[in-house]
Amino acid sequence: MLAIVLGLLLAATVVVLVALPFLREPVAADDRLDAPSEAESRRLELIEERDRALAALKELEFDHRAGTVDDEDYRSLIGPLRQTAAAALRALDVYGAEMSELPNEPGPPPDEGTPPTPAPVPEPYPPPDEATVPSPDE
Amino acid sequence: MADLGRAALVCTLGLSLYALVVGIVAARDNRRRLANSARNALFCSFGSTVVASAVLATALVRHDFSFVYVAEHTNRSLPTAYSLSAFWGGQEGSLLLWLLVLTGYATLSIAVNRRLLRDLTAWVVPVFGGIATFFSFVLVAVSSPFNTQTAPFDGAGLTHSLRDPYMVAHPPMLYLGYVGLSVPFAFAVGAMLSGKTDERWIVATRRWTLAAWMFLGFGQLLGAHWAYTEVGWGGYYAWDPVENAALMPWLAATAFLHSVMIQERKGMLKVWNMVLVALAYELSVFGTFLTRSGVVDSIHSFAKSSIGGWFLAFVVISSLFSLTLILKRLPFLKARTKLESPLSREATFLYNNLLLVALCLTILWGVVFPILTQVVKGEQQTIGRPYYDFFLRVFGLPLLLLMGIGPLIAWRKASARTLLRTLAWPIAAAVVCGVVLIVLGAGSSLPGLLAYTFCSFVLATIVVELVRGMRVTGSLFMLVGRNRRRYGGYIVHAAIVMLAIGIAGSSAYQTTTDQPLKLGQSMTIDGYTLTNRGVHTSNSPQASKIWAVLDVTGRYHGTIKPVLANYKIPPEPGAKNVSIKTDWLRAQDLYVIPDELHPKTGLIYVQVLVKPLVNFVWLAGIVFVLGSLVAMWPDAREQRRLVTRLAPARA
Repeated sequence: MLAIVLGLLLAATVVVLVALPFLREPVAADDRLDAPSEAESRRLELIEERDRALAALKELEFDHRAGTVDDEDYRSLIGPLRQTAAAALRALDVYGAEMSELPNEPGPPPDEGTPPTPAPVPEPYPPPDEATVPSPDE
Repeated sequence: MADLGRAALVCTLGLSLYALVVGIVAARDNRRRLANSARNALFCSFGSTVVASAVLATALVRHDFSFVYVAEHTNRSLPTAYSLSAFWGGQEGSLLLWLLVLTGYATLSIAVNRRLLRDLTAWVVPVFGGIATFFSFVLVAVSSPFNTQTAPFDGAGLTHSLRDPYMVAHPPMLYLGYVGLSVPFAFAVGAMLSGKTDERWIVATRRWTLAAWMFLGFGQLLGAHWAYTEVGWGGYYAWDPVENAALMPWLAATAFLHSVMIQERKGMLKVWNMVLVALAYELSVFGTFLTRSGVVDSIHSFAKSSIGGWFLAFVVISSLFSLTLILKRLPFLKARTKLESPLSREATFLYNNLLLVALCLTILWGVVFPILTQVVKGEQQTIGRPYYDFFLRVFGLPLLLLMGIGPLIAWRKASARTLLRTLAWPIAAAVVCGVVLIVLGAGSSLPGLLAYTFCSFVLATIVVELVRGMRVTGSLFMLVGRNRRRYGGYIVHAAIVMLAIGIAGSSAYQTTTDQPLKLGQSMTIDGYTLTNRGVHTSNSPQASKIWAVLDVTGRYHGTIKPVLANYKIPPEPGAKNVSIKTDWLRAQDLYVIPDELHPKTGLIYVQVLVKPLVNFVWLAGIVFVLGSLVAMWPDAREQRRLVTRLAPARA
């Protein structure tokens, strides 16, 4: 008897929970899935590109300071990485301007500083302070 | 209460099927409420599976022998902990545990990611639903743990070799690993189905994959320890098909965990990563097929049953589905960049991947070869230990070397000059270690010598990395906290080195002897003298036992008592209880296997093994878990970043 009661209770609970989205909203104003639009997907792609470039920069800086990457290799690697990061940031800016109806691209979290602006690489390059090179992939 | 268990399982089947079918419709037609309903059904399937599991657990603890499963796997004298462990001691119960873990993982992983990845989870729900439908169908229609009978007075009991704390923990760990691999699989398939193959699915499943990989690896070590102390053949890994079944997905997952870093960093290897995720998952289900079908001979197999065919069909269908999906979604999986140099970190990761997958497929060939010969020739030809040992050396030693080179080489490209300069200390350490080992006489085994030399190289690279990093950050704590994933990985590398030291020591440098000893007679092995002090017997309602008393003198002083037992409930004649003494000073085990013990004459036949450094294998397990935990520890900054990144998408 207890098994039957518990079984019925289980079935009733399950039915209510499965039907809950329709019980809460019998008529939905907008029943579409909350998916990013094409524009939003493109924005996400650009952000990924930016994050990837900044993470690579950050790790290169660290490896250079630690001595895993020497000055010569560092100089040959930092330029292209900075160009990639700058290109990603520019693309995001351009895209943001084109899609002005979309919300603005959020910057990195407050504790991570501001994104670096590309600058010519001096010879030899002095290791910058880590705090000036924020990265999404610490 | 069996009716409640059956009803709960039927409920799970219905809910999983609903999540599958309705989930597909909702995701395809872009219908939010329907998608939420399918998601709720999947969540509820976890609830109903919990109910079914609670019914079985209660029956096991209460020794309710009206359940056929309980009567077959427990008896009244079994302690409660072992009664509960019978949950996964038999086929039906272990399948229920699989379903419980699967629906639990599905619920948690979707609940955690449902807001950030709403578009993706709409497709992940039916994937989980499909997998859960299969397992609940098998439990409802083919192999139910809730079959009942007229209750006998007592049950058959649990096999004595399974009454071991390690065996209590080993299967759940393996299941947490096997089933955990379905999380990255479901999200990867969901990403491909939705066409959203950006990196969000990787970020969402990174820790789930790491956790599954950790459980699978640690579970195997627990099983290895059980085999070492309980099974009594003198080793801990026999290349048994069922053991290999757990190793293969672990190797594939290891490859994935490395190659996914290249995708995150460079946007490369997207197709390869999808293949690895699918391979790891399919191999985990294939392992279940091996364990349950009876197609291979293994001490770990369940009795031959009818569910093998169902599993094979599921593996074939889901593999074809994954492959077709990857091929159809190739345009979404194009690489953004190319490999710039064969001397770069991404290149070493790629080499590492190729070696890991080659080792995995070599083992797979060794496992399926007997099945194929049975089908083609009508007689089973097995592949023995030399085959596996050979390929372990061929692929394992270069892997060990790469493990040292990888962390010290720059991303994108590195010059040979820089690499040599960076590796100078590790190379010097390896050379010194090699020379010292040769002087100490370790040159008797070339693979062993190479393994130790490479191990010292890897350890030196880890130390160099830590020292250099600490110069920058000022402390080890800051260094590890700054990049837990990287430094957790180094700890795991240290664990793999310890594992290699243990394996090489206990196999390449093992000493063994096998001889009869009359009463009072002695034998000497590797500086240990064992003297036969007599054979004794005991008899109880549970078992009759014969044991020898051997005094150990020389390098170690103590007594060793190997036992031959005839267990009565359940009947298990001739069980060998090995005796192991650890000589901590020399870091080696003295391992005695009783072959024959004669109480009347006092004559004994024993095998004695001296296994150097074997305890490094078990120590490696602890370090492995520690490193994995460090690598997967939640990072609040990363979470904030993800939330910030996706905020407009959710608005």
